Amino acid sequence: MIRKLNILLLITSSIAFVAVYGLKYSVEEVAKNKQALERHIEQQKGQLSLLEADWSYLNQPSYIQPIIDRHIAQLNLQPIKQTQFGSLSELPMRPVQPDTAAMTALFSSLQAGVDPADKPIGGQ
Amino acid sequence: MAIMTGGDAAPISLTGAKKFRGDLTRTRIRWVIIGLVTLFLIVCGRLVQLGMVVQDTTIEGRTREAISASRPAILDRNGLEMAVDIRVPSLYAEPRRIIDVDDAVEKLRTVLPDLDPAWLRNKLSGEKGFVWIKRDLTPALEDKIYQLGIPGLDFLTESKRFYPGGPEASHILGSVNVDNQGIGGIEQYIDSQGLAQLQSVGIANGGNLKPVQLSIDMRVQHVMRQVLLDALTRYQAKADAGVMIDVKTGEVLGLVSLPDFDPNDPSSMIAPYNGEKAMRFNRITAGKYELGSTFKTVTIAGALDAGAIKMTDQFDARFGVRFGRFTITDFHGQHRMLSLPEVYKYSSNVGAIHIEQTWGKDNFRGFMTKVGFDSPLPIELPEKTTSYIPKTLSDVTAATASFGHGISITPLHMAAAMAAFVNNGVYEPPTVYKRTPQEVAQLAKRFISPKTSLEIRELMRLNGIEGSGSVMNRLAEGYRVGGKTGTAEKVENGRYSRSKNFNVFASAFPMDAPKYAMVVIIDEPHRESATTGDTAGWNAGEITGRIVAGVAPMLGVAPNFDQALDDQMVPVSIR
Repeated sequence: MIRKLNILLLITSSIAFVAVYGLKYSVEEVAKNKQALERHIEQQKGQLSLLEADWSYLNQPSYIQPIIDRHIAQLNLQPIKQTQFGSLSELPMRPVQPDTAAMTALFSSLQAGVDPADKPIGGQ
Repeated sequence: MAIMTGGDAAPISLTGAKKFRGDLTRTRIRWVIIGLVTLFLIVCGRLVQLGMVVQDTTIEGRTREAISASRPAILDRNGLEMAVDIRVPSLYAEPRRIIDVDDAVEKLRTVLPDLDPAWLRNKLSGEKGFVWIKRDLTPALEDKIYQLGIPGLDFLTESKRFYPGGPEASHILGSVNVDNQGIGGIEQYIDSQGLAQLQSVGIANGGNLKPVQLSIDMRVQHVMRQVLLDALTRYQAKADAGVMIDVKTGEVLGLVSLPDFDPNDPSSMIAPYNGEKAMRFNRITAGKYELGSTFKTVTIAGALDAGAIKMTDQFDARFGVRFGRFTITDFHGQHRMLSLPEVYKYSSNVGAIHIEQTWGKDNFRGFMTKVGFDSPLPIELPEKTTSYIPKTLSDVTAATASFGHGISITPLHMAAAMAAFVNNGVYEPPTVYKRTPQEVAQLAKRFISPKTSLEIRELMRLNGIEGSGSVMNRLAEGYRVGGKTGTAEKVENGRYSRSKNFNVFASAFPMDAPKYAMVVIIDEPHRESATTGDTAGWNAGEITGRIVAGVAPMLGVAPNFDQALDDQMVPVSIR
């Protein structure tokens, strides 16, 4: 009886020994993975914060202004003047009949190289 | 087994060999037990001792949590970042865990060749807990060092504050010191609101902090700073500053004070400017000034609201007002009877004194308290000063105070009062935080009646059209700006200086439905050219005009050239 029990215990303990041994190594493996992942996350967060800082720096008016100033001549940029603002009410109503005469005039003027859209809204 | 030999003889005891061995074994076992127990006690004692050892986990006196603690991002009203945290890896070593110092030094120098080998060897030897090897590494370098696999070397993520706008909003933001603690501005305010405690217990980490949203509009801030910066050279002034408030909510949209500093470099805060020290403070909240004739707006608003004067009243400005040896006269002397709009338009000191005297100096003093000039500024910025106004006014101080001399308030006090005057008389305490409509409704306080507010707006717009604000109005044509100039002579060695001015322009726009109020100050401006002047209209006024022309389109204020609008606002009768 006692002999059988002893054998049983021996078998169980050797199984437990192998299991614990395996578990220990798998835990170490998981811990290593976890550490690597944490490091990766930390790195990514760091890079993200750098990129975010970069993005907000590039969006600052103080960063954009000098770029505009540099290209004023090339792009023919001008600060908007108060007189250049228009409102919807200044637009003429849509004509009931298509205004063929005006369309012809527009196309011939475009063909001649004069674009009426270059003129400021609201008059001369 | 004992054998009894006699009645009186002592018993002889004989011990058998078997028993003798048994006793010997028992004694041996006892000794072994004692030995084992002692061994266990020693092991236990060592365990307790090890458990008692307090490891020094601080780095240069600060916990790891405090070093990696972050601060919340600061956003402007449109969500643009004004201050962000950058997370940078820093390399440190634990010398007591390093096995082979020479090997570690050699390997490290392959990645960081600029480290001095002798210095590094010295750092890595010994039993110290923590030593910094290199701060602010790039992620690429971090990776390379990690690949070396040296035991005892590790990385700690440090938070660094970065202000992408540079000096743009320096006085609003303040800065942080090397320990990531706020020094000045909103950064200091955030700390005082409990962030410091969060950081010390280590929960202010990573992205779990809610961003702080301010009421500042970085576009407005930029335009204001550009214009004010240009004005410093244009008028060869010592300093200038400006603040813009949303009159409906009390939110500050822009606050610039020049000279300023770069928050990314906190030491620039105290750097001298043109050889002068202590120039870079926030003039809007921490400077108090005699704001000159802009104060007439306050005097007239109060007197009108109390019913002491009417818009149609006439004031005798033919002669100066005498106080003992002194006579106060007008700068733009008209020497005739002036109507109230004329007193305002020509900025008549004599007229202002008559108004104050009709009203009564105690009522005048009471009104200053009512509009908050006595109380400290309600704004969140820690740099602020209190006004200088005597508790009770004598006849002379009351007279000079009516046109803004002899009493000092901060420009923000004036801007907040101006905002209330044009906002139907309803005051909102100025703030740099974004406000909800509920808070706005809760904080509202009435200064003057809507009727008086309308009259003040008439006067301010009138002054913009044909008074001292006309230079400004030409620059900001169409945006219906109204305002009042103030030219104060600076006090030098206890006397008012004739040559050095301190100029102010207090304004609001668009006057038909006011949205924004602004105060601009400029210290010791000079004439821009021979044909211009050095009074406030020529510098502070022009600055205001340029700022309005720049920011109005961004703020959704459309220009309107309709003459009828002005005619309705400023009746022809008062022109």
